[in-house]
Amino acid sequence: MRKYILVFLCLSALSLNAQDKIDTTSVLDKTELKIGYTGNFFWNNGLNVGAEYLWKENVKTKEKRGKQKTIAHQFLLNGNLVFSNNYSTKTDAGIYTNYGLTWRRINTKGKQISIEFNPLGYYRSFLPETYKVDGDNVKKVFLPGRSYYAPSLSIGFGKLRKDKKLSGRYFNINLMYRTPYNAGALPSISFQYGYRFNSRKKK
Amino acid sequence: MQKIVLHKLKIVLITLTVLSAFSCSKDEDLSNLSDTIFVRHKKTDMPAYIHGNGSEKVFLITLHGGPGGMGLGFRGTAFNSIENTCAVVYFDQRGSGMAQGSYSEDGITIDIMAEDVLALVKVIQLKYGSDARFFLLGHSWGGTLGIATLLKDQHEFLGWIQVDGTPNPRDMYLEYIANFERVAAEQIAIGNSIPFWESVNELLLDVDSEFNRDDIARLNNKGFEAEEELNSDNLINRPSGGRDDLAFKYNLVTFYWNLLNTQSIVDPPIQGILSYTDRLPEIKTPSLILWGKYDMVVPPSIAQETYDNLGSSVKELVFFERSGHSPMGSEADLFAEEVNMFIDQNK
Repeated sequence: MRKYILVFLCLSALSLNAQDKIDTTSVLDKTELKIGYTGNFFWNNGLNVGAEYLWKENVKTKEKRGKQKTIAHQFLLNGNLVFSNNYSTKTDAGIYTNYGLTWRRINTKGKQISIEFNPLGYYRSFLPETYKVDGDNVKKVFLPGRSYYAPSLSIGFGKLRKDKKLSGRYFNINLMYRTPYNAGALPSISFQYGYRFNSRKKK
Repeated sequence: MQKIVLHKLKIVLITLTVLSAFSCSKDEDLSNLSDTIFVRHKKTDMPAYIHGNGSEKVFLITLHGGPGGMGLGFRGTAFNSIENTCAVVYFDQRGSGMAQGSYSEDGITIDIMAEDVLALVKVIQLKYGSDARFFLLGHSWGGTLGIATLLKDQHEFLGWIQVDGTPNPRDMYLEYIANFERVAAEQIAIGNSIPFWESVNELLLDVDSEFNRDDIARLNNKGFEAEEELNSDNLINRPSGGRDDLAFKYNLVTFYWNLLNTQSIVDPPIQGILSYTDRLPEIKTPSLILWGKYDMVVPPSIAQETYDNLGSSVKELVFFERSGHSPMGSEADLFAEEVNMFIDQNK
């Protein structure tokens, strides 16, 4: 019986591995990673890493004044992981992750305009030394911070570098809401500047 | 083998020395504290920035104005000197500055905010020792909150310093009108900024004679404008600002958002309604009342009313001759002198 189980596990692992390879090949080709600065210069500064998966693309080519123009409209699934901090006070450190959909238009010259909507967002703030008071009982809190639902919307501009490993750069203006925050929600504005790259390309 | 043992022993000894040095550093640092801690109380995390000389374990807890102001707004000017006398605790109140939490509108009231201050006292006692001693200072709205705190529990406080803050928001509307009438008449009589003071008189004709929420906002704004005029006529000093880096300490989007939200929730059940005047005799804590002679935001007549009604046997009222609403900025040296003397006498 043990032999059968062992053979079954080995075959399962091999088949999963094979399945993985087939899937990841196409996924990786359509996926770009990105890394960049995020923050608002004065108070919060941090790092943004993420990935974008090309879900749908519609390319149209037109002749205009004897020149051929190609306009691409893309829909991308994207995810981000961001760390930001106010290094001056340590009162505004947080990590957040969000997921959603990006619409992007790319013109013949590779200039990009995009709108990114991330309805799935989670923000975790990290506070310095914190003490919880409950009546006369005072206790130091382990890993203090608060969790928020944090959807966001970005409007961005970028430039495509076709067939390059470093496939483009982007600049986004991002509006994020954190809720529940105090008696309501807290808006925050940040800027993101970074680079996209495709790990499958060699140059 | 012996060499290896000796080498390892050396590492252990060095590690122990470094660790013991750090473990001792807490006491040494008390004379120059620079800590940021958060108080978690009733669904909110509120930062307390503690700076200054804590060697005698005397802590001056400051309550900012607003509601919705910023704790570190006091830092600099007069407080540079006060930090040499004691440890100053700059506290972002619930819904203010960088305080963050999750509560309904019922979760931010003057009662709960007063309990937050008492919670802060407990946290400082746990962190710095149960022998910590406390003074409380409230400016403007912080003056109202400070009185609410003392009426809940005053036994932890060695002294109360009230700076241009009213215990009686109920009657402030009428005090505003009376104060504007008096100062406008004085200034017109001596020929100072006549067009401005005439515009004040026009405003007084336009506002309701009974409390009106919109009109108190107009009078409040006019109060700040009036102090600008008094400054341009060289009757008061321009309050010097706090620290230059304050704009980097607070995310201003967060700050203003909190300020607007908190004021819209906290002010309505207080303005024109709440008065602690009848309960002031219950306050027995030694008290120092500091007021700008030309305060157009919280009129100086309230200072005398507060002084007369406080139940403290040790109490003093000081007017700053060349100040408006913020004497800590306009007559910083005198302000620091008064506060330091009061703390020295009562600690």
